[in-house]
Amino acid sequence: MDTVLKIEHISKTYTGHRALDDVSMEIPRGSIYGLLGPNGAGKTTLIRVVNRMILPDSGKVFFEDREITAEDIYRIGYMPEERGLYKKMKVGEQAIFFARMRGLSKFEAIKRLRKWFDRMELTEWWDRKVEDLSKGMAQKVQFIVTVAHEPKLLIFDEPFSGFDPINTNLLKDEILNLRDRGATIIFSTHNMESVEALCDNITLINKSRNVLSGSVGEIRRKAGGNTFRVVFSGEYDKFTRAISDKAELIGEPENLIGGYTQHKLHIKLDKDIRPVIGALNESVNLRSFQEIIPSMNDIFIRAVNGTL
Amino acid sequence: MSKINLILSREFTERVRKKSFIITTLLTPILMITLMAAPTLIMMLGKTSTKKVVVVDNSPERFVGRQLKSGSTVEFRLLDTGITAAEARAQYSNADRAYGILIIGSDILSNPGNLQLILNDASSMSVEESINGQIQDILRTERLSRYEIENIDRILADAGIRVNVQTLKNNVLATDEDSMEATSTTMSWLLGLTLGMLLYFILIVYGQQVLQSVIDEKQTRVLDVIITSCTPFELMMGKILGIALVAALQIVIWAVLVIGVSSFVMPLLIDPASVQAISDPMMGSAISSFTDVGFLLSLFVQLLVFAVGGFLFYASMYAAIGSAVDTPQDAAQFNSIIMMPVILAIIVMMNIMNDPNSGLVFWCSMIPFTSPIVMMARIPFGIPAWQVIVSIIVLFISFFIMTWIAARIFRVGVFMHGKKPTWKDLAAWIKMK
Repeated sequence: MDTVLKIEHISKTYTGHRALDDVSMEIPRGSIYGLLGPNGAGKTTLIRVVNRMILPDSGKVFFEDREITAEDIYRIGYMPEERGLYKKMKVGEQAIFFARMRGLSKFEAIKRLRKWFDRMELTEWWDRKVEDLSKGMAQKVQFIVTVAHEPKLLIFDEPFSGFDPINTNLLKDEILNLRDRGATIIFSTHNMESVEALCDNITLINKSRNVLSGSVGEIRRKAGGNTFRVVFSGEYDKFTRAISDKAELIGEPENLIGGYTQHKLHIKLDKDIRPVIGALNESVNLRSFQEIIPSMNDIFIRAVNGTL
Repeated sequence: MSKINLILSREFTERVRKKSFIITTLLTPILMITLMAAPTLIMMLGKTSTKKVVVVDNSPERFVGRQLKSGSTVEFRLLDTGITAAEARAQYSNADRAYGILIIGSDILSNPGNLQLILNDASSMSVEESINGQIQDILRTERLSRYEIENIDRILADAGIRVNVQTLKNNVLATDEDSMEATSTTMSWLLGLTLGMLLYFILIVYGQQVLQSVIDEKQTRVLDVIITSCTPFELMMGKILGIALVAALQIVIWAVLVIGVSSFVMPLLIDPASVQAISDPMMGSAISSFTDVGFLLSLFVQLLVFAVGGFLFYASMYAAIGSAVDTPQDAAQFNSIIMMPVILAIIVMMNIMNDPNSGLVFWCSMIPFTSPIVMMARIPFGIPAWQVIVSIIVLFISFFIMTWIAARIFRVGVFMHGKKPTWKDLAAWIKMK
């Protein structure tokens, strides 16, 4: 696998508190990687370790197959969870300042920023002070400041907090755009909908440990545990007899409008599902047969509660 | 452009553009010049209207009242015998008729305290002084005359000697005493005090700006954004140097304004004849030294060196503290520790007049915690150049050491949120790999 960033066995202890406990992950190039976990799980600490803002007690971080150096950090775009801009400074000047801090020339900075301000509908705010901006607008400025130098790796800590639905979509589109143009993106979030919509892979950290890693599709399928929802009409007895030796029923049947019945069932992982469908088809009027894929929200809660 | 440069110029331009900077930069010299010119101006503007005082004199043969002389301050009018104090008070009951009624007791000669001034208007120090002075003289003459000694006035005048030592700066190159530079201890002390206070102002006011700036960035989390684009050391130095540049600019503007005013405006404002006419030699030398451009220029250069060195030294401490805490309230405890040497420096500075070369003063002007303020206050006394140079070298070496320590605290502190660190924590951060 072509990885941009590799995190190996990172541990970090603050006085008496273990913030990270042997956390490892690999971020494939050109992917969007979700870093999930409840508050205080250690996500921000991990991001800070990657950014070399804090040094781990043990473990290593590799950027493009080399151990990460201070120089590499300048090629990472980082948007911290707590947004920070100089309130009294003019928006445009501030954006230029940050872009230049990240190595762009003044000329190049202005050129790129003008483009970004246009896209984000912020052009008329160029000469205003940050304190005059609404929270959402300030967030957009923060986003631009993070991406303007076109880093290969972008790290967003809770990028969607504080955005209205319209701007959230705008931001999602821009994140996908950045990925399509070759950037690798890590973002930490509590917003599970955005994880489903954006992330290729995730790592879930709970109580300082990596409790779940992998591609979003696989994780959801696995978490579903080969559970299916059957909707049919016909005799319930015939239904139970048809699947008796092929699958196990979960819970009670539910009556739906129009005389339909719904039931959940579980099929052992090594078993084929076609015989089940065949038997059902012969004995009842089968309306739908669908795998239940849990939402990331469910997975998150179950993983954190240890019931996954 | 390097990162330090970028941070420095941002810090500098943001500050210099502020209205408050422009206002303090322009107002301070106006204030200083007003203070310098105040003695002359007060003398010129201090003339007041003559106050009319009616006198009820109960002394034998009204000998006091008859000798009172009206002048520009008070005009006395002796009332006829037989008018009692109560009658006079009734008759001259408002300020239009008389400023006040002076009642002289019958036993004034033996009991000089039996003297009252009843006012219809606000009290005036100059009127009181004039009355006290005149009556004192009258009573003194009267009492002396009772001894019946011949030529007593001349004897007394002869015995009343006043000595005023003439202090000169020893200069081996000077061929005669006249060409040696006259110095005045009081004058040097006052000038030193002014410079010391100015330096105190620069260290504390600008040092606090560094502290505030770091805390602000920590609070607004700009720090988290910026720290991924530069090293903590670059950030700290950029800030300190940026604010130092603001301080330097301010001093240079002040120097230009004060020197400009001294060389062009003061001569017009103060007529040289009136300077000579001022009887007080101290005041005369004060005014003449503020019109001496070369003297002012050398002072400003030394002020600039000590201000920059002292500022860099103190600013690194302030930066370290700012990085370690979350709020200005948390900084207060550390701040008070920084203030201790500064307050010591000010106490020492106040006592420099007694002996500008005493052991305490000398060492305080060498140790970097107090040296900028104390040395600056010593310089007007004319101290050896080597002392100034050593003090500067020590100060700048200490600045590098302090910056190194501060940077080590800074690199850890900027990421610490929540708990207020203890001294032990700070020590651990310095040692941390």
